[in-house]
Amino acid sequence: MARRVALALAALVAALAAGWAIGAWWLWQTQVPSGLRLPEVAATDVLSAAELDEARDYERFLRFSFLGSLVVLLVVFGLYARYGARFVRESAAGRIGTGMLLGMLGFAILWLVQVPFGLLDLWWERRHDVSELGYGEWLVLNWFALGGEFVFVCLALLIVMGLAGPLRNWWWIPGAAVFVGLATLFTFISPYLIPAQVDAPPALVAEADRLAEEQGLPDIPVRVQEVDAYEAPNAAATGLGPTRRIILWNTLVDTFDGDEVRVVLAHELGHHSSNHLWKSIAWYALFAVPGAFLIAWATRGRGGMREPTAVPLALLVLVLLQVLALPAQNAITRHMEAEADWVALETTEDPEAASRLFTDFSSAALLDPSPPTWSYLLVETHPSIAERIGMAEAWRERGGR
Amino acid sequence: MAAMEPHPIRLVVHDDLERSRLTVFFRLLLAIPHLIWLSLWSFIALLFIAPITWIATLVSGKAPQSLWDFYCSLVRYATHVYAYVLLAADPFPGFTGKAGSYPIDLEIDPPGRQNRWKTAFRIVLALPALLLTSVLFGGQGGGGGSSGGTSQSAGEEFGYYLSAPGVTFAVAVLAWFACMVRARMPNGFRDLLAYALRYGAQTWGYLLFLTDRYPDSDPREPAPTPPPYRPVALTSEEDDLRRSRLTVFFRLLLAIPHLIWLFLWTIAAFFALVAGWFAALALGRLPNALHRFLAAYLRYSTHVFAFLYLVSNPFPGFAGTAGSYPVDVRIDPPERQSRWTVLFRLLLGFPAFVVDSALTGALGVAAFLGWFAALVTGRMPRGLRGLGAYALGYTAQTYGYASLLTARYPYSGPPGIDVEAPPEEEPEPAWPGVSPSPSLHW
Repeated sequence: MARRVALALAALVAALAAGWAIGAWWLWQTQVPSGLRLPEVAATDVLSAAELDEARDYERFLRFSFLGSLVVLLVVFGLYARYGARFVRESAAGRIGTGMLLGMLGFAILWLVQVPFGLLDLWWERRHDVSELGYGEWLVLNWFALGGEFVFVCLALLIVMGLAGPLRNWWWIPGAAVFVGLATLFTFISPYLIPAQVDAPPALVAEADRLAEEQGLPDIPVRVQEVDAYEAPNAAATGLGPTRRIILWNTLVDTFDGDEVRVVLAHELGHHSSNHLWKSIAWYALFAVPGAFLIAWATRGRGGMREPTAVPLALLVLVLLQVLALPAQNAITRHMEAEADWVALETTEDPEAASRLFTDFSSAALLDPSPPTWSYLLVETHPSIAERIGMAEAWRERGGR
Repeated sequence: MAAMEPHPIRLVVHDDLERSRLTVFFRLLLAIPHLIWLSLWSFIALLFIAPITWIATLVSGKAPQSLWDFYCSLVRYATHVYAYVLLAADPFPGFTGKAGSYPIDLEIDPPGRQNRWKTAFRIVLALPALLLTSVLFGGQGGGGGSSGGTSQSAGEEFGYYLSAPGVTFAVAVLAWFACMVRARMPNGFRDLLAYALRYGAQTWGYLLFLTDRYPDSDPREPAPTPPPYRPVALTSEEDDLRRSRLTVFFRLLLAIPHLIWLFLWTIAAFFALVAGWFAALALGRLPNALHRFLAAYLRYSTHVFAFLYLVSNPFPGFAGTAGSYPVDVRIDPPERQSRWTVLFRLLLGFPAFVVDSALTGALGVAAFLGWFAALVTGRMPRGLRGLGAYALGYTAQTYGYASLLTARYPYSGPPGIDVEAPPEEEPEPAWPGVSPSPSLHW
């Protein structure tokens, strides 16, 4: 009997793993031609020697700062998992309320120990004219951002601990589904949460409409976000269905030439036409289900997620899983960005503008065109500048479509 | 709460609450000679005598007797004048600040040795007490609003506390009307003013080297009149005053989920109150179900604000369950209510809302000061905690009255902490619902 159960369980796990793999394979499909060889682009071809030195120097500092804060994150949550349950005495709330308090305190402690890293990064960015944000302003913004995190943590724990009450260690099945639903909702409303948006110039809107039509999309609204505190350019595709939107930072619109902005528009529209936001949610679902299961499994020794004392341990497990999944997640986003680059090339048919754009990006944001491998795997969410210019070259060598 | 030695500067009240309408009507004008004389005396005392006293106390470790007498008279005289202006007492005071010459007077212990460090940094050390005094005695006007349910940025919030009408100013204006109508001072108002006068006298006594004992803002000292029984009253478990530095530092952010929940609950409570108002008009009492719901809402909001303002330490629950939090609200079962008072409840509650707004200003400043103190020492100063509980208790009474949980008008006198049992006889209201009954002790 026990053997049959074990076999059935193994079969179930195998079926789930196969389903996971099929889902991942399907999501991995891309419009970038298979076997596309990117020509080597030397970093010195992108930036001058002086610019390259500055970019590498700039990024090296930020990478080590990132590693330092990552180590601190793990140490803090490790210690918090060990001793955090002591804070139960600070609560007169019930099971879930106490869990919320422990969750918030975990992030509060983390915020405290990561403030020096944040200030150090800001100092470095200001030194290199990448940011003009004041230290006080940064602290205030981060303080309020922590408040936002608290709201999210409380909502998450309300769901998890609410489900863990009646379902015990099986909360992760509906829990993962609820989180995927929330991620979808958040993606849907996210365009409305971005501050300081103004209408894009009419010429830009007309260009976006033309590009959208070429990509088989309806007209997608384009907005410009005023970011006075930053010098670096940026853009984003946000929203789902009727809330889809392209956001361009004013640092991009004001300083880059029309052809370059057109490439950016085509790239962001490429995210929409390739359904990258839906795919991101699907990827999230693929990671959320086993992630939730692992948290449920890891916290069983502390009574499961129905007990507030399990919350500090759950935070540690969550962070560990996120760190372990970081290379895979970065690979996925790089894969999508590469596809959006390809779609942009196909739409604009202007590889020169694309190459110029990425070169100017590198120069304005002090991006190392060829970052070290470990950084590429662990930190980079976009293909390197050298790869992006290489793709433009490859598109030209193929003679376009 | 551990018993403490009495403060060297104590307020003594021998006031019968009777007021002359004529002198009340012209009170501010009648006080002009006193205000001129007090300004002159204070100017000389602060500008010329204070530096001498400071150096003498620093050198000898004790204020010289003659200078100490001089300042004693000044602080006592200032107390007499303020008591007169604010209607806390009725007779026209003398100009010398003589001990025992006025119904609201000070008992001041003889000069003792003073800590030289505390003397050296006296003016700096006195700043928090001066800030609190300015909130108690300030009269900037404005204010409005209350502590209920809305969230603002920290800067706006603190600005509100400082711009709220001073407690004594708000109470004196309301008391003026009450005295003109009834020729009698509501005892709750008088006791609140007495509390503020005591704190003010202790602050000036501290600043002017009468004592090195810090002013005590705890309202739980024997009040001139024992407070009446209140159907809605704050109850508080023994507080060891310990505060977790971590939760204190992040207190505002930790309260966010509660403030969101309270906001949602407030919407529901509003509709429940509207329904309750119609029901109470028809039935002459609040239906049980609505009473339970509104009572839970009032308890919950008190728990949340007790947490937010550091009056209590633990993170509260989300249900507003009775007895679930160290600082709680005892709410009596539904009672019959006059339909007339139900009909005009919000209008009748206006004076209470004004006092509540002013006390909320003091609560905010107490929490602001307590935040720093608790971060440094890991403990909430007893006085600030007591003041916070007092203000919260009054808020609970005010909202309990406004939301028809009780027909009893809020009692504004200290301590705002629960009394054990109801009186045997209902007191006669002096001001809408304010009872002068001294039938209970606490």
